[in-house]
Amino acid sequence: MSAREPAADSGDAPLDVDVRAQRRFREFQLDVAFSAGDDTAVLFGPSGGGKTLTLKAIAGLVRLDAGRIAVGPRVLYDSERRIDVPLRSRRVGYVPQGYALFPHLTVAENIAFGLRGSGREARDAAVAEMLRLTELEGLERRRPRQLSGGQQQRVALARALACRPDILLLDEPFSALDTAIRAELRDAIVSLRESRGIPVLVVTHDLADAFSLGNRIVVIEGGRVLQQGSREDVFYRPASRRVAHLVGTRNILSMTVSGFSDGVVDLDWAGRPIAAAIYPTHAAPPLARGQRVEACVRSTQVMIRRPGDTYEARRNVLMGRIAQEIMGAEVYRLFVSVAGSDAPHDLEIELPAYTYFRLGLDRSKQIEMSIRPEAVHIIHEQREPAAAAR
Amino acid sequence: MTAIDASDIIITLQVATLATLLSIVVGVPLAWVLARYRFRGRAIVEALTTLPLVLPPTVVGYYLLRALGRSSASGRFLEDDLGVRLVFTWQGAAIAAAILSMPLLIRTAQSAFEQVDPELEQVAATLGRSRVSVFFSITLPLAMRGVAAGIALAFARAAGEFGATMMVAGNIPGKTRTLPIAIYDAVQAGDIARANATALLLVGISLACLLLFSWTTLLFRRTP
Repeated sequence: MSAREPAADSGDAPLDVDVRAQRRFREFQLDVAFSAGDDTAVLFGPSGGGKTLTLKAIAGLVRLDAGRIAVGPRVLYDSERRIDVPLRSRRVGYVPQGYALFPHLTVAENIAFGLRGSGREARDAAVAEMLRLTELEGLERRRPRQLSGGQQQRVALARALACRPDILLLDEPFSALDTAIRAELRDAIVSLRESRGIPVLVVTHDLADAFSLGNRIVVIEGGRVLQQGSREDVFYRPASRRVAHLVGTRNILSMTVSGFSDGVVDLDWAGRPIAAAIYPTHAAPPLARGQRVEACVRSTQVMIRRPGDTYEARRNVLMGRIAQEIMGAEVYRLFVSVAGSDAPHDLEIELPAYTYFRLGLDRSKQIEMSIRPEAVHIIHEQREPAAAAR
Repeated sequence: MTAIDASDIIITLQVATLATLLSIVVGVPLAWVLARYRFRGRAIVEALTTLPLVLPPTVVGYYLLRALGRSSASGRFLEDDLGVRLVFTWQGAAIAAAILSMPLLIRTAQSAFEQVDPELEQVAATLGRSRVSVFFSITLPLAMRGVAAGIALAFARAAGEFGATMMVAGNIPGKTRTLPIAIYDAVQAGDIARANATALLLVGISLACLLLFSWTTLLFRRTP
């Protein structure tokens, strides 16, 4: 653990994370398996689903019944081979939700805490480097309670990274921070990760954080992995109704397969034709004509057309009326009742406030909408997983 | 003040100091275990460590006398095989005082350890520190106010111990007689001046302990 150049860590040997963790509790059963690459992965899901437990199992803070945990070439736990590396030898940078800074130590002492054994000079140099990377210079003699929430979070990151761990584990890193500092820290985490070249696992229940942080997303609920994949896969092509709901898909619509044409599946949505693009990369069981399916359309993917617009191929065009609208700070949410429907509303649409005003929308007018076939995702669900029942 | 025997003061301080050291060595780890671990029989251990607080000191002294004296196998083993004679010595008195003052230290230190967030210890361990290192760098400094309070209370209690000391060590002037026993002697002998002086001295020692305690509290105030 000498003062290696940060760059020497990255590149040649990608550290893949491979986790299989099983533990039975009285009222909860953890049984997760996922992998992540040499970048940021997000464990995403509702509170109490087992995300933090999984993170603690990787750190060695929770005992497992069975499983295997490997970070790159290092096996930290393997129940079959009876490997269970003690937590102090795991080389894991763990930052819990409340940061757990040592209140009786200064910022510099906190950061240096994991550097015992290295000489005083190397330690001071490492602390100075971490202070610089986390932009905490000048605060080294402060104590944790004299710092703002964002500064505390950065001290926790610096402390975890100072002893050059093989992996960084962050539990709800932004939960206690306000919006402006969140964005700043998200950038800090991304650049710290790049400077170290180690995998980062982030636990969050926040959709926006999950989307902006994770290249890979693992959806965990009820102690199980519901889906894992790239951010785009999970957010735009959820594997189940439950995941679609968890990742914030507002429109999950029941449709019937009516046929197949060039590159699209033709669907029937209560008499209205809808075309859904087929993704060749997305392995899925074949669809049969007449099959009932559910189609996901994210609320930001429904376009409202100005009368007479011709720039877009006229596919999946729907007429409707705004039944209700909710004004947010930056986005407006419209609940639209599609023509010919007797439901209170059929589609939820999100659009920037300026678009709302530019289109001159209001509840009295008929509106014309269109959805790109690429934005219609058919859920290929074999059957509801047990966890979704919770 | 010439009425007070200097040896009484010295013996009292010797007994109290040794008793406090014994209490720390046994009591602090025990308090930590009771604060951090849930195990079978924990309630029994907790009850046993509190028992001397409610028992008459003479009962504790009586059992100790039996355990350390020649009348029991353990006492004979101590004397014959180890060559350790504790009955009617100031060291024996210190053991008695330690048993009686330890509950104060254990209870105070235990609740102080319980106040330390276990997550701090967990994080410290993930940073590569051993359990012992975590204890001395995180747990103990953060619990120091409570532990120091417990030590001060234990010392004051040990300095004032009478019943058990009397049973185990007797009343040998210059050898085992402590200040509380000296008061008893003085009253028995009708020497009220000496009793007054001795009592006042004991009040002073106890007060000093408590002042020392609030001073250490100030010293460790930087912890939350």
